[in-house]
Amino acid sequence: MHVDSEPRITLREGLPRAVVMIALAIVAGWLTTFLGTPDYPIEQKQIMAVSIFVLIISATLLFWTIRLAIAFLGIAIMLGMNVMTLPEMIMKTELHIILFLVGMMTLVGVLKDLGLFTWIIQIVINARKMSGKRFTLILVLLSGIMPGLVDEVTSIVFVLALVFQVCDTLKVRPLPFVMMAVMATNVGSTGTMLGNPVGILIGSKAGLTFGSFLVHATPIMFASLMATLLLLLFWYRKDIALLDERLKQRRAEHLGLGPLVRIPYRRGLIIMISSLVLIALHHNLETWLGVADNTMLIVAPLAIAGVLMIYRNRRARHYIERDVEWWTLLFFMMLFAVAGALDSTGVTKNIAVHFTDTFGTNKYFLTPFIVGVTAVGSAFVDNIVFVAAFIPIVKSLVTDHPELHPLWWAMLFGSCFGGNITAIGSTANIVALGMLEKSHNTHVSFFEWLKVGAVVGLVTCLIAASIILIFYYGDASVSAEAQQVLEQLAAPHLAAP
Amino acid sequence: MPYTHNGKLMSKQILNGDNFASFFTDRQIICQTSIADRDDLVMEMLTLLAMTRGIGNVQDIYSRVMEHNAGDTTVIGNGIAIPHARIDNIKEPMVAIATSVDGIRFAHDSDLSHLIILVLVPNDQPATYLRILSALGRILQDKDVATSAAELTEAKDIEKFFHRGGMLLPDYVCAADIMLPPETTLHETHSLKDAIDLFVARDLTEIPVIDKADELTGVVTAEALLRVCLPDYILWMDDLSPILHFEPFIDILRKEENTWLAEISTDTYACVQVSEPAIAVAEAMARYKTSVCYVLHDKKLAGTITLPHFLNKIMRY
Repeated sequence: MHVDSEPRITLREGLPRAVVMIALAIVAGWLTTFLGTPDYPIEQKQIMAVSIFVLIISATLLFWTIRLAIAFLGIAIMLGMNVMTLPEMIMKTELHIILFLVGMMTLVGVLKDLGLFTWIIQIVINARKMSGKRFTLILVLLSGIMPGLVDEVTSIVFVLALVFQVCDTLKVRPLPFVMMAVMATNVGSTGTMLGNPVGILIGSKAGLTFGSFLVHATPIMFASLMATLLLLLFWYRKDIALLDERLKQRRAEHLGLGPLVRIPYRRGLIIMISSLVLIALHHNLETWLGVADNTMLIVAPLAIAGVLMIYRNRRARHYIERDVEWWTLLFFMMLFAVAGALDSTGVTKNIAVHFTDTFGTNKYFLTPFIVGVTAVGSAFVDNIVFVAAFIPIVKSLVTDHPELHPLWWAMLFGSCFGGNITAIGSTANIVALGMLEKSHNTHVSFFEWLKVGAVVGLVTCLIAASIILIFYYGDASVSAEAQQVLEQLAAPHLAAP
Repeated sequence: MPYTHNGKLMSKQILNGDNFASFFTDRQIICQTSIADRDDLVMEMLTLLAMTRGIGNVQDIYSRVMEHNAGDTTVIGNGIAIPHARIDNIKEPMVAIATSVDGIRFAHDSDLSHLIILVLVPNDQPATYLRILSALGRILQDKDVATSAAELTEAKDIEKFFHRGGMLLPDYVCAADIMLPPETTLHETHSLKDAIDLFVARDLTEIPVIDKADELTGVVTAEALLRVCLPDYILWMDDLSPILHFEPFIDILRKEENTWLAEISTDTYACVQVSEPAIAVAEAMARYKTSVCYVLHDKKLAGTITLPHFLNKIMRY
């Protein structure tokens, strides 16, 4: 989403926030001094890393509209104070994740241009015997499945176009259906590696493949999506009944829900299916080509984007300049580098040691704990920020205790499902509410969202934690993944990019 | 005396409750003029103002008054004509008054005017003329005022006549002061076909929709119609070939007679109450990014104000 202008932060507003941010950084630095152990004593560099990390994270939250500027300054401070070196910084920016996202955003731009999303919307508005419940079912399924194929932001933008078209035509308030779409999108974004930047970040750090997401994440996503559907059908039953009534009236008058045009959709559909197949087969291709794990996962979207830019060379520059969200991607790079400094200075090792000393390694405690903490954290802090901060701890924990590998899944589901709890919990929520405000001048209060969001968040988190606890610990495939990650860590030259 | 940033003298701001009679004395009144020609009378009144109060180049101001008059902005009614102009060289409104027993024709199709009130307003006082007109509202509606004034033979008597009237300038110009009667309206029961017919025939971009009680229920705009034909999901495509022959419009054409206006009318539009200050009109238009503001008397549609009309009234009138 492109925002033309943001409100200016005045000195009067900024000063108290700056004081809070500096106080938090000082407290965090002071607390770090207690993290030392006989094996891993705390050094001044680590105190600096934690202080600057907390300073930057709190600054990005308190000055969200200028978060990229804050992140730039944070990197400059880290380098200037020798907390990390330039090569370390460049390595920690996770360039491979950024390139993956650039490729995917370019692909999505081409698919939009070719009318694939228009075609999908037309299928829904042209559906025969549409009823309120059927529309809700289609909306939730579409919102749940699409993020896994494109990404959550693209998905919510296109699903909301459908919601506004139907609600405006039928003169019903769009808010309930917008909330249904957003909640299903947050749940659905966990289904594959493509759904959410958190997915690709965790996948990359945990050495997970597209296939492992299909095996372990997709079933939990579908179980949670069905629970979400049932909750939303009950919660918004009056709005669904009104939509049903209006649909019947409109059908009686032989009127449709919007203009329908013949879309040459085949090109777009073929491109999307081929791209997904190529990405899904990345592990097989890597084995066949003898390249490091996840290399083809990154290469595939870039190669597809390259081919599409040659095919649509007239629009190539447009895709890169307009469809790639450079602001967001640059922020991710800086954020990853700042979080990486904790890892490179070894402070995460100390945190992980204290974590296991305090909470032990009991899966029955750690799994719901990680799901709960990441869910609550992501409800108030952008989930990528929270996950970037949490990854080094989980990584260190899993390295020392490989049997706790399913904690990666706990973090994925907690951080994505937690996004449903509040109106600011995920990028999809913020984009959707912005669209609703712009098009319908409708605002959603914090508590209006929280009432339904907390229920959906709690139920889906319980489902995810239960499935992980019952099925994933001791699972042979999960253990194999853990073993693979350990081997990669032992032989860095073979590690994922 | 305060100065503007470019060194010009700032005009004296007209205060709320200023009496119209304070803008002239008996020295700016011509009683029972024998001049029969409109242009000659205006020149005579301007010369009088130049000699008694100093207004700058009379010929230039005469051209400005005539220019305004040609634009049909001179208020004429019940035997009263109020020619006016906005000029740079004065600091406060200046008024000259003339009476004519025989009457003077100010426009080709108007009745004879017996009371002529020439108003000059500083250029940097928007809407002062409108406030003066508002102060004169009562005498403008009285059929006998012009002939009674024309019968007075002494300038002092005419001055007293206006002093007695207690014609105070209002606090501000209201929306009602600048609105025009609604040009076109549609009823809720009209179809989309009726709206399209009006858009095309009258070259309109938006039409207010009212109910049986004349209450404004919504506005149907040509832009909304276009958005119905070309929703976002169609605009996403770079390839125009699927809509090259106006395919989305065909769908609308097929059902235009069965589509009620309520389906495409919007309830988001700029509106103000008749008694609200005219500046609220500008605020509403700016807020809603529209060029039409609807003026309501409670919920009933009382008038409309377009942006060009508003700018003319406030900046040029």
